[in-house]
Amino acid sequence: MAEQQQIDDILPGDYQAGFVTDIESDSLPPGLSEEVVREISRIKGEPEFLLEWRLQAYRHWLTLETPEWAHVNYPAIDYQAISYYSAPKKKTDGPKSLDEVDPELLRTYEKLGVPLDERARLAGVAVDAVFDSVSVANTFQDKLAEEGIIFMPFSKAVHEHPELIKKYLGSVVSYKDNFYAALNSAVFSDGSFVYIPKGKRCPMELSTYFRINAANTGQFERTLIIADDDAYVSYLEGCTAPMRDENQLHAAVVELVAMDRAEIKYSTVQNWYPGDENGVGGIFNFVTKRAACRGESSKVSWTQVETGSAITWKYPSVILQGDNSTGEFYSVAVTNNMQQADTGTKMIHLGKNTSSTIISKGISAGRSQNAYRGLVRVGPNADNARNYTECDSLLMGDKCAAHTFPYIEVKNPTAQVEHEASTSKISEDQLFYCKQRGLDVEDAVSMIVNGFCKQVIRELPMEFAVEAQNLLGLSLEGSVG
Amino acid sequence: MKQLTELATPFASVADSTPLIGQQLPWLQSLREQATEQFKHNGLPAKKQEDWKYTSLWGLSQQAFTHTANQATVTTKQSDQLALLQDAYRVVIVDGVFSEELSTLADLPQGLTIDPLSTSIDSVEQLLGQQVDIAKPGLTALNTMLMNEGAVVSIASGVKLDKPVELLVINSGSTDNLAIHLRNIVSLAENSQATVIEHYVSMGDAGSFTNVVTEVVLAEHAELDHYKLQQESANAFHIATLAATQAESSQWRTNNISLGAKFARNDIQSRLMGEQAHTVMDGLYLVNGEQHIDNHTRIDHLVPNTTSEEVYKGVLDDNSHAVFNGKVIVHKDAQKTDANQSNRNLLLSRGCEIDTKPEMEIYADDVKCGHGSTVGQLDEEQLFFLRTRGLDAVSARSLLTYAFAVEVLERIPSEIIRQAFSVVIEQRLPRPSVAA
Repeated sequence: MAEQQQIDDILPGDYQAGFVTDIESDSLPPGLSEEVVREISRIKGEPEFLLEWRLQAYRHWLTLETPEWAHVNYPAIDYQAISYYSAPKKKTDGPKSLDEVDPELLRTYEKLGVPLDERARLAGVAVDAVFDSVSVANTFQDKLAEEGIIFMPFSKAVHEHPELIKKYLGSVVSYKDNFYAALNSAVFSDGSFVYIPKGKRCPMELSTYFRINAANTGQFERTLIIADDDAYVSYLEGCTAPMRDENQLHAAVVELVAMDRAEIKYSTVQNWYPGDENGVGGIFNFVTKRAACRGESSKVSWTQVETGSAITWKYPSVILQGDNSTGEFYSVAVTNNMQQADTGTKMIHLGKNTSSTIISKGISAGRSQNAYRGLVRVGPNADNARNYTECDSLLMGDKCAAHTFPYIEVKNPTAQVEHEASTSKISEDQLFYCKQRGLDVEDAVSMIVNGFCKQVIRELPMEFAVEAQNLLGLSLEGSVG
Repeated sequence: MKQLTELATPFASVADSTPLIGQQLPWLQSLREQATEQFKHNGLPAKKQEDWKYTSLWGLSQQAFTHTANQATVTTKQSDQLALLQDAYRVVIVDGVFSEELSTLADLPQGLTIDPLSTSIDSVEQLLGQQVDIAKPGLTALNTMLMNEGAVVSIASGVKLDKPVELLVINSGSTDNLAIHLRNIVSLAENSQATVIEHYVSMGDAGSFTNVVTEVVLAEHAELDHYKLQQESANAFHIATLAATQAESSQWRTNNISLGAKFARNDIQSRLMGEQAHTVMDGLYLVNGEQHIDNHTRIDHLVPNTTSEEVYKGVLDDNSHAVFNGKVIVHKDAQKTDANQSNRNLLLSRGCEIDTKPEMEIYADDVKCGHGSTVGQLDEEQLFFLRTRGLDAVSARSLLTYAFAVEVLERIPSEIIRQAFSVVIEQRLPRPSVAA
């Protein structure tokens, strides 16, 4: 008992990214209707086809019910109490360079450590920073343009490359896919668009920061990345959000398309406000992420480090259509206090000789719930499909919970599918050994946890790996079992 | 849902027209009424329900069944041939009716009682319905409504049985599409030890529907080896629920071997309620043709220091479809739980399908839990090796398939039962056709 008390004393670590930037926002009043959808489309000056698509999605959404199957509990969301559009107030028609960007915004990024200015160039990172819903700054546009690479806010791409948007939008995640994807399709405000032309290797890691700022504004991002034949891109997404008392809904959609021999690497560090130790506040993160390996020998790799959000509902998936295509999923999900995570992946094998790897590491502490939910499906034509799944859970404290729900569906007798899962706590022996070598308990735990997650962390680009390791340490401070 | 509720009505009306046992017992009447209400409300489980995601009862709902059996003649010789063991306390049920002449219950040892449910129903109030939940989507409510026979086996405190009990359930095939609803109760008092085999067989290939619920209670330090062998006809529907509660230091080993029926579903549950209790939950399914087999298992670790192990293996051929779902739930404060589960599947042909889902829900931290699941095929190199040794292709495949399946049998402690099962399994494997 005394030990538990000690743990509880150390547990509440303050959320370091919790601050609110005071900028006037252009917001629509709360509520959702066909009018709101039309208004969003009008504000953004969208072409007719997109409005039509949004309306279809909206009408479909009305027919859907909130999914209840995930192992999470939360009060029903009032979709009429959410404002569906919020943009930082524009001074002119929009910033043309960094100097024109609202300095208040820049300071926010600085506090978060977004390498948007000079440091960004040195770090070789191009950031399409999304502040609430409108992208305000792009860097390295010229350099990328030279290569023919398109990396711009979604709303800009709608105007400059409508043919690409028309061709690929909704082609991986249909608006009919699920409740939140339908909602996102109807009201999405902005996001990122990436197109890597044939044979090009993107010379830098593309990165974007998502922030939720204005109170009561759900954020509905839409990301679309297309890697044409023989192209390669590595994309980073990092998230922090200011401290809030009310729950905020985030329902993003990410679509990736990999053509022949193309490769997309998508990395996420998600550190949104998880709520306080009593489960008050925090982000509801209901995200649909899916990739299509359309071309032969294409490859998509998802890596995620999930430490934030009150509720995470997220299954980055790969549809392995092309022969010889490869899908990978590396995940670390940490839950503490009252956090709930239901996350995993889907690997849908359709093409021949396709292979997939799933490595999932769940760490639960406090009174949190952490579930892995995954699907490996091998279709009747997917000869010689191969899957390897490993999902391990680490429990810290006797009030948290860890769950594993792997679905395996095989309709082809040449498939080889392996799934393995384990659950345990940090062993007394490991701790004792470390302590005996002079490490204090905190350092020992941090070391053991990092070792536990190493398989995933090493898949992250270097800058992210450092941040992720720090995050793991921070999120679990004091949670010694 | 509504549709399936309507489809369930043919069953709902059976209760009015069939004479049911124990009608004079108020507690039973009340239980049956509750069950009827539940069944009318829930209907047959639909695919929308997670536990029935891969298994549709549409076929069952479309089949008309009779609940009245024609006169059947099964000889002692036939019964002997059908039985798994010759030397056992045998209780025989033919077409849903207890057969005294085929049963060998004359010289039961002290401390063992075996009675048909129909004659002992007035003494099972404390046991009947304790292990199962009629509110759960499934066919337990239907079973409770219509149960009319079964075996009630009790072993007294400290008694160790010298030979196994075999419950032989025969469908004689003399009534087309006969439905039977059986309820078995097996209870072991403190420090007792027993082996019980449930054995379901068909003569001929008539359509049939067996809906059985077996409730097991193990008191402190009791040990039960339980086997279920299902060899019903290729036109049979077989739905079985098996649930046990285990007290401190009890051991329950159960082995579920499914070979027959066109449609089979098993729901097996163990609840570890006392410290040091241990469950072994194994199973083997060999299916071919158009067979559908669904095994749902669940182990609840409710107190500290309990252990469980589970090995399920499946061999699928032709257009068969197998489903496995294994839940291991470690409840809050069930510290020092050690649980292990594996499900391995061998796919032998195009057209077969396996849907497997090993699950863990863990609410305590000081535990060791693991599960594994694989889907694969015979190793080409091993096949090649056997061919170089002169085996024909069919024999080589059969041998390797047997080697895969036999792991489950090897875990059976009793030599006699292991042998008996081996014979049954070998008969199921393809043999080379003799060249002219």
